[in-house]
Amino acid sequence: MAEESEDRKPLLSKKIDKFFTGLADAWNFVRRFFQEVFMPPYEFKEIIQQCYRIGVESLPLISLTGFIVGIVFTNQSRPSLSEFGAASWLPSLISIAVVRAMGPLVTALIAAGKVGSSIGAEIGSMKVTEQIDAMEVSATNPFKFLVVSRVLATTLMIPLLVMYTDFVALMGSFLSVNANEMVSMTTFFVQVFEAITFLDIISSVFKSVLFGFTIGIVGCYKGYNSSKGTEGVGRAANAAVVMAMFLIFIEELLVLQLVNAIRGM
Amino acid sequence: MRGENRRSVIVGIFVFVGIAILVVGVLTLGGQQKKFVKAIQLKTVFDDIGGLQTGNNIWFSGVKIGTVKKINFYGDAQVEVEMNVEEAVVEFIRKDSKATISSDGLIGNKIIVIYGGSTEVAQVEDGDRLESVMPLDTDQMMETLQINNENLVEITGNLKELTGKIAAGKGMVGAAMTDSLLADNFKAIMANLDRAAANSNRVVNDLNTFTAKLNQKGYLFNDLVTDTTIVKELKASMASLNATAANAQQLTLELQKVSEKLSSTDNSMGMLLNDAEFAESLRSTLENTDSATYNLNKGMEALEYTWPFNKGFKRKAKAEAKEADGN
Repeated sequence: MAEESEDRKPLLSKKIDKFFTGLADAWNFVRRFFQEVFMPPYEFKEIIQQCYRIGVESLPLISLTGFIVGIVFTNQSRPSLSEFGAASWLPSLISIAVVRAMGPLVTALIAAGKVGSSIGAEIGSMKVTEQIDAMEVSATNPFKFLVVSRVLATTLMIPLLVMYTDFVALMGSFLSVNANEMVSMTTFFVQVFEAITFLDIISSVFKSVLFGFTIGIVGCYKGYNSSKGTEGVGRAANAAVVMAMFLIFIEELLVLQLVNAIRGM
Repeated sequence: MRGENRRSVIVGIFVFVGIAILVVGVLTLGGQQKKFVKAIQLKTVFDDIGGLQTGNNIWFSGVKIGTVKKINFYGDAQVEVEMNVEEAVVEFIRKDSKATISSDGLIGNKIIVIYGGSTEVAQVEDGDRLESVMPLDTDQMMETLQINNENLVEITGNLKELTGKIAAGKGMVGAAMTDSLLADNFKAIMANLDRAAANSNRVVNDLNTFTAKLNQKGYLFNDLVTDTTIVKELKASMASLNATAANAQQLTLELQKVSEKLSSTDNSMGMLLNDAEFAESLRSTLENTDSATYNLNKGMEALEYTWPFNKGFKRKAKAEAKEADGN
């Protein structure tokens, strides 16, 4: 009895203990993912299915967003550059902004909203309706089937979506620059590639992989740990989006520091 | 099952296109940044690279030919820059070419510009070190600009003082600006100048007319300028004149000798002209001759009436009378 009360007594405070417990759970979840991902059997069909849902079905939304971002950013930057008589630098500016930051960030945020919430809600509803327990009973590894496939799908698809977004955003920017500065497509893309380096592309792909993994793992974790019925499903979906977005920004900051450190070497 | 296959194909296409975009981007970037072309390494050493970074472009004749590969400290706080330069353009870069640091546009990235080099010198080879030329430092430019500013301040100060004096009517310019009498004088001067200019104009016109006439054929000057035979004739005339002058000189010498002799008394003419005693003697001789002649005339008159000479005189008188009647 005394031991039980000792266990219930918080170590630091109830909230802090809860935070660190959640962190430990998340760490175990991630560790389990890396344990499961290399172990057969591989759920290829499910992975393809999730790739289709996450990648192909997100493409119209991501493309539209990227296109608008390209046009808007170009039009917003033009007055400032024109003040310095440097409107001809628009392609270089847009290229750096899109490839280094906006492409991965916008794609990841849109995907976090669309895919992260969907994963959180889907797995959460399966959890609260005890479908996951049923899978375990039917000798199917629910973690491998639900979590590994989805996380792999997001990790693979988000970088590809970022490539699309970059391309579409640059095309949007080109339309704006072409309409206003009468710059040809060749000149535009020459300036675009003149401004960026391999490090920019590598960091962009690296970030995208990281963002994809984050969206998948956070969505799955929140859904997998949801409770309290249908209310819990909504919470899981919401928490998946919020947490994924928050982590994406943190990762963006850390990767930026890392890339700048490499660039300065 | 069929739906699953369809989805797999679509995912495959999606992945393929996404990867294709990435590959095309990488290849374009590599091609543009000359990452996949054969390159040689050149080096140069600067005292100050002014913020040049690894990866900055190398330009030659305004064309990008490579990138900065490495930047190291070298020797006594100098900086050695290693450059990757396209092998295809090496034949145009000579060993005596120079490298300097410039910028891509007014506020653009730093670049290295390779320039110069003579065709007599061999082309660069891998590992060669180019002579560096320090670029114009912005700080130095600002220093010069500051000196200019100080000079400008001094100049404007002087100008202010000067215009103040002019406005107060001091000095010649001030007086000219404020003194009405001076202005009238100035107007008069200007009027005179105007007249002088008109006169000059007229003189020039006359000169024009004169020179036009000189240029007309048949005039002496025109002939002098254009007719080549006149020169020969003039030369001949000058030779004759020279000969005449020589003769005249000879004559003068002779005359001088004569006059010298006339001045002396050792000859008859000199004695006649210069000897007073001789002159007195000559006068007395002439007086005696005059008196003798008078006496002779008297004798001759007396002889006219004396026989037998009177007959001869009478015959002569008759012949003269007869000749007069015959006329």
